[in-house]
Amino acid sequence: QRVLLLVASDVDALCACKILQALFQCDHVQYTLVPVSGWQELETAFLEHKDQFKYFVLINCGANVDLLEILQPEEDTFFFVCDSHRPINVVNVYNDTQIKLLVKQDDDLDVPAYDDIFRDDEDEEEDSENESDGSEPSEKRRRFEEDVIERTMRRRQRREWEARRREILFDYEQYEYHGTSSAMVMFDLAWIMSKDLNDMLWWAIVGLTDQWIQDKITQMKYVTDIGILQRHVSRHNHRNEDEENSLSIDCMRIAFEYDLRLALYQHWSLYESLCNTSYTSSSLKLWSVQGQKKLQEFLADMGLPLKQVKQKFNSMDISLKENLREMIEESANKFGMKDLRVQTFSIHFGFKNKFSASDIVYATASLMENIEKEGPETTNFIKALDSLSRGNLDKLHQGLDLAKKQLRAIQQTVASCICTNLVISQGPFLYCSLMEGTPDVKLFSKPVSLCLLSKYLLKSFVCSTKNKRCKLLPLIMAAPMDVEQGTVIMVGIPPETESSDKKNFFVRAFEKAADSTNSRTLHNHFDMSIIELKTEDRSKFLDALVSLLS
Amino acid sequence: SERMSKFKNKGKNSDALRRQRVEVSVELRKAKKDEQILKRRSVSFSLDESVSPGEDKKSEIPELSLDDIVEALNGSNEELQLEATQAARRMLSRQKDPPINQVIKLGIIPRLVEFLSRADNAALQFEAAWALTNIASGTSDHTKAVVDGGAIPAFISLLSSPYMHISEQAVWALGNIAGDGPMYRDVLINCSVIPPLLALVVLPLPSLLLQRGSYTSPVFQVGFLRNITWTLSNLCRNKNPYPPADAVKKMLPVLVYLLLHDDKDIISDSCWAMSYLTDGFNDRIQTVVDTGILPRLVELLSSPELTILTPALRAVGNIVTGTDQQTQEVISAGALTVLPSLLRHAKPTIQKEAAWMLSNIAAGSCQQIQQLITHGLLPPLVELLEKGDFKAQKEAVWAVANFIMGGTVEQVVELLQAGVLKPLLNLLSAQDSKTILVILDTISNLFLAAERLGETDRLCLLVEELDGLEKIEALQNHENNMVYHAALQIIEKYFSGE
Repeated sequence: QRVLLLVASDVDALCACKILQALFQCDHVQYTLVPVSGWQELETAFLEHKDQFKYFVLINCGANVDLLEILQPEEDTFFFVCDSHRPINVVNVYNDTQIKLLVKQDDDLDVPAYDDIFRDDEDEEEDSENESDGSEPSEKRRRFEEDVIERTMRRRQRREWEARRREILFDYEQYEYHGTSSAMVMFDLAWIMSKDLNDMLWWAIVGLTDQWIQDKITQMKYVTDIGILQRHVSRHNHRNEDEENSLSIDCMRIAFEYDLRLALYQHWSLYESLCNTSYTSSSLKLWSVQGQKKLQEFLADMGLPLKQVKQKFNSMDISLKENLREMIEESANKFGMKDLRVQTFSIHFGFKNKFSASDIVYATASLMENIEKEGPETTNFIKALDSLSRGNLDKLHQGLDLAKKQLRAIQQTVASCICTNLVISQGPFLYCSLMEGTPDVKLFSKPVSLCLLSKYLLKSFVCSTKNKRCKLLPLIMAAPMDVEQGTVIMVGIPPETESSDKKNFFVRAFEKAADSTNSRTLHNHFDMSIIELKTEDRSKFLDALVSLLS
Repeated sequence: SERMSKFKNKGKNSDALRRQRVEVSVELRKAKKDEQILKRRSVSFSLDESVSPGEDKKSEIPELSLDDIVEALNGSNEELQLEATQAARRMLSRQKDPPINQVIKLGIIPRLVEFLSRADNAALQFEAAWALTNIASGTSDHTKAVVDGGAIPAFISLLSSPYMHISEQAVWALGNIAGDGPMYRDVLINCSVIPPLLALVVLPLPSLLLQRGSYTSPVFQVGFLRNITWTLSNLCRNKNPYPPADAVKKMLPVLVYLLLHDDKDIISDSCWAMSYLTDGFNDRIQTVVDTGILPRLVELLSSPELTILTPALRAVGNIVTGTDQQTQEVISAGALTVLPSLLRHAKPTIQKEAAWMLSNIAAGSCQQIQQLITHGLLPPLVELLEKGDFKAQKEAVWAVANFIMGGTVEQVVELLQAGVLKPLLNLLSAQDSKTILVILDTISNLFLAAERLGETDRLCLLVEELDGLEKIEALQNHENNMVYHAALQIIEKYFSGE
């Protein structure tokens, strides 16, 4: 039986896909891979293939809507859903025939109890059956006791139950958030089947790192999952350490590290990385003159010559690099950057190629959202997927170059938004809209880039503003999507606070605002806090949001 | 069969043809009805707790044994009488296994009937009425026990009780008695149940409420009216004999009024009443047609509610079994406009009834057949033959048979052009000999028409092309002798040339 693999366009999904592909290969399972970037594509892909396939695997899509409702599959069609989107739709949870969810057992789903949301309405059904089948009235009728009191009671109970159900579902569906990385779930599966390989482990690491870089999970969750993966890493890479001298060209080794939270620094210059990393740039307020001055002071404090700092990291003096991490960390502490050190993993290919997990995430994500058209729609996806294989260093390097461009574009846009006061408080939320003609605006019509931009911008804004109330607000960001069709892409992100639970309430708010204003919106993204909207409808939509959230 | 012999008998009048259809369908219905007897409908009945005087003390009432009940009932303490009646009623109202037989054996029915006339104690009247209603809801023996206890006159006088809930309970009890069959139905009618029953409907509701006191909930009125409608429908129900014509004439205007109500249960039950009244001889049909209710019945054929559509279609279907004139009234009321969608209805039973109706209209005059064509009924007929439910297909076969027999040559040609022949021939593979015979007979009739046009060869060719010849040949081996003969006759007459 051939399987259809439907994979969303995010790095975690790609990693999960790689693991599954390896497992399929192992077991000689035939499959067809179809990338899907949104609900519309998912539906089309399903319709196109439903006659040839009975088994569908959905990666990072499908969990948070009622699949049976939107796809209307035949009864002999089965869906295996591995998706980090939460909350999982309750029908998907409780359907035990056609929908199989792949979730980690210890993931706390908080799904409402079955009896609280579903009810087997025998009585009601009896009634309606009799009422709807058009059969002749009975010739004699007994009057039941319950006709008088119990019926009223039952009706009252039913109303109460329904009100409670609405409340429970409202609470359950109120926030969008993310569960365990799909790549990690898939790796768990491989491990349980004793088919886990070091490559798979690496993909699981990249998947988790993607969640962290996209700010999809809490710090706590990240650290916990790193711990889990660390045990697998030592299990898999234990032997290699003994044979360190016999490193061969195609050998691969994963190592746990406390590394610097500086984007791509090993493939860039330290200076560029400091300037284009959200954490450092917002902490130092690099968009301002004082910020630039502070950066100089910071570098001087470390005792690093500017010339060294600005050249490629690879070419820096070995002597400087030796205690670099400690030196940077020490100075960073003085400048209020206490979290510059992060737990992560790195990978060595052969002797000279070393990448940190975040390098791979940035590179892969950039390949996926490459705005230079290089062929049909799926080219980016395939290229990004390929870059994850260890033989494809050239693609990976191309991805790193694109990632640098992306990070620079984000940083420049953040700086200009802050300097020109483009972030405005609307009362219950902050709002920033990129104009048509802004440099790099095309890049930000892509969801992942737009989300990164929003998160970086919000971080920077929180550091720049003196308004305490504004520091606690969520942000809505809009960018032109398709000029000809007159649409904008809009994303809402939760407030930037240290204790943030990363839960996003904009999904429901967007739905309601669109409903109440008849705005022409398209909820096409698997992340439902991203929507597309007709430009003309934007102001009434925002007005509705303001009054809704005030 | 009798039907076949009539059918083959050329020159019979179409009324006879129709009559036969009625007999067949009546049989089908009776079978269906028998299935339904065991099903009890629990109609929603809203009654505020406070309205029922007996209900407030529910929690205080102790469980009484059957012996206690008998003793208290026969005693003279009114409070104990009420308690015991209530206990009995409660047992009879429970969902599972009500002890109807035991209660009858206690011999308390006459006493309960006596309580019905205790106008000074409304609570006792109500409890007794409810208990007796539930006893009467059982088998015929159970109903008989209630009637033998003298309940009929007592309930009829309770119809005029000043308390609405008591009057309603009486309506319910009388409905159960009427539903038992034609005998008790006519006993009730002879006891003049109809005038006070109709008075409950005919009184304009506001004044009724004023007169009767404080019950003003509109839901309550609807519930009451539903019960009345159901009881009236039982008074129209059953045959051998049919209910007396003068009783029917009294009830009809009120049923017409109820049919205009907007509650779907009331419409449904009054539609069923109409379907009972239109079942039978043409003079019965005429009585209903004369009320001018046909446009409303036809309007209800578009109802999305199966509970309304089903009886409405039955009533209209019954009417077209009548004379050409009666059928014409149905056509003039616009029934043919909705008929195509009914033939394509998702429910097989509706398809079947609609096809049955179509077959009876096709048994009418050439003008009426022409109306079928102009209203676009040929395509849905062909569709039904192709892929309808089998029972509906059988009715569709009859429609084609009647059409071909009664239609002009031009009309028959038009039917053929609509593609009727292929699905008709396909149905020769059906398991049902009766249907096969009708089809073979229809094919013979087609050939007769073709002969008149000098187109026999073309028809032969057509039948052969559609694999019909193969099927007819195969039928020469059919176990049914009549099928075998009919098939053989066609082969010999038209296909033995080569």
